[in-house]
Amino acid sequence: MPSMAIQLQRYLPERDSTPHWQAFNVEYDDSTSVLDALEQIKAEQDSSLSYRWSCRMAICGSCGVMVNGVPKLGCKTFLRDYPKGLQLAPLGNFPVEKDLIVDMSRFLEHLTAIKPYLIAEAAPQGQPHRQTPAQLARYKQFSNCINCGLCYAACPQFGLKPDFLGPAAIALAHRYNLDSRDSGKAERMAQLNSDNGVWGCTFVGYCSTVCPKGVDPAAAVNQGKIASTLDGVIQWFKPAKASRNKEQR
Amino acid sequence: MPMLNKNASQTTPHRSDEPIWWSLFSAGGVCVAMLVPAITLLVLLGIPLGLVSAEQLSYQRLHALVFHPLGLGVVLGAMVLPLFHAMHRIHHGLHDLKLAHGRLAKWLCYGSAVLLSLLVLGLWFSGLG
Ligand code: SF4
Ligand code: FES
Repeated sequence: MPSMAIQLQRYLPERDSTPHWQAFNVEYDDSTSVLDALEQIKAEQDSSLSYRWSCRMAICGSCGVMVNGVPKLGCKTFLRDYPKGLQLAPLGNFPVEKDLIVDMSRFLEHLTAIKPYLIAEAAPQGQPHRQTPAQLARYKQFSNCINCGLCYAACPQFGLKPDFLGPAAIALAHRYNLDSRDSGKAERMAQLNSDNGVWGCTFVGYCSTVCPKGVDPAAAVNQGKIASTLDGVIQWFKPAKASRNKEQR
Repeated sequence: MPMLNKNASQTTPHRSDEPIWWSLFSAGGVCVAMLVPAITLLVLLGIPLGLVSAEQLSYQRLHALVFHPLGLGVVLGAMVLPLFHAMHRIHHGLHDLKLAHGRLAKWLCYGSAVLLSLLVLGLWFSGLG
């Protein structure tokens, strides 16, 4: 079996004052993923190594790491594609807790804030909510998000300003706003309308490049800008009702 | 897992004024994308290739075109909106480069777009007579 040199960013908070690089050698074949390589290191070379994973099939979203500086899912990235070697580091733009484990609570707060669930009246008599294929097609792409956070590691605006709701949260808000069964748009727009909502985005588009599920959060954010502009115009023309957002500064 | 900040979902943030600047930016971008290639083709290729005679772009003709009432549309599309487009990019570029992101930068950027636009419009109206 061929072997590959892997540089790992290590950080053990009880021992290290700053992260540092450590070199490992792993054996691999065509089917060895980055996650497999980490398991090999932990099992055979250094049991103190920490990283997150669960499903090993690109569905739980827990194994995100920076692979040669690019946010990737460890279980969906293969050593065979990196003949020159690998550098693995924790996801960018998040505080590092230990080794490859980051603190994602900021991302989760943003997700919570946009109410990423169906806000709808129960369908009558236990009937299912009916939806046509055309209604489904409007949001289907945006519903594939696995909350892996790769897009946050890719987003320079989230890096500059962690209060920015960020790609996945906005994509999910957009996903529910587009859902014909949902009636919670008014509750979500207040968040999207703010400087930290859709307007925190300057359309860099790297989020969509790194997304492992083809969600295209950048498209959602920019469709959200149109939605937010229309929302503003509509609010303008009906001043009698309480404004959705607080008074403008 | 650290405790989530429950308040994050309950506070109602201010509505951003970005839709105004973003709309001007977008309109300016569309105008630039349509007008600049057309003008470039006309001047850089049209004349050398003999497709357009230099006569057709003479001062008198262009003057008449620009100061025609419909010429105001050309002035808005070729100068005013692109000014807002450019200053919006510069404003966000300053933030991205961590050079400036406060109110002052915003006032300077959009303020200069407004002032230059007023200058352009002033010249246009004074040239009408
Ligand atoms: S939008 Fe894509 S990259 Fe972002 S969290 Fe969802 S699946 Fe991950
Ligand atoms: S381990 Fe679940 S997405 Fe990689």
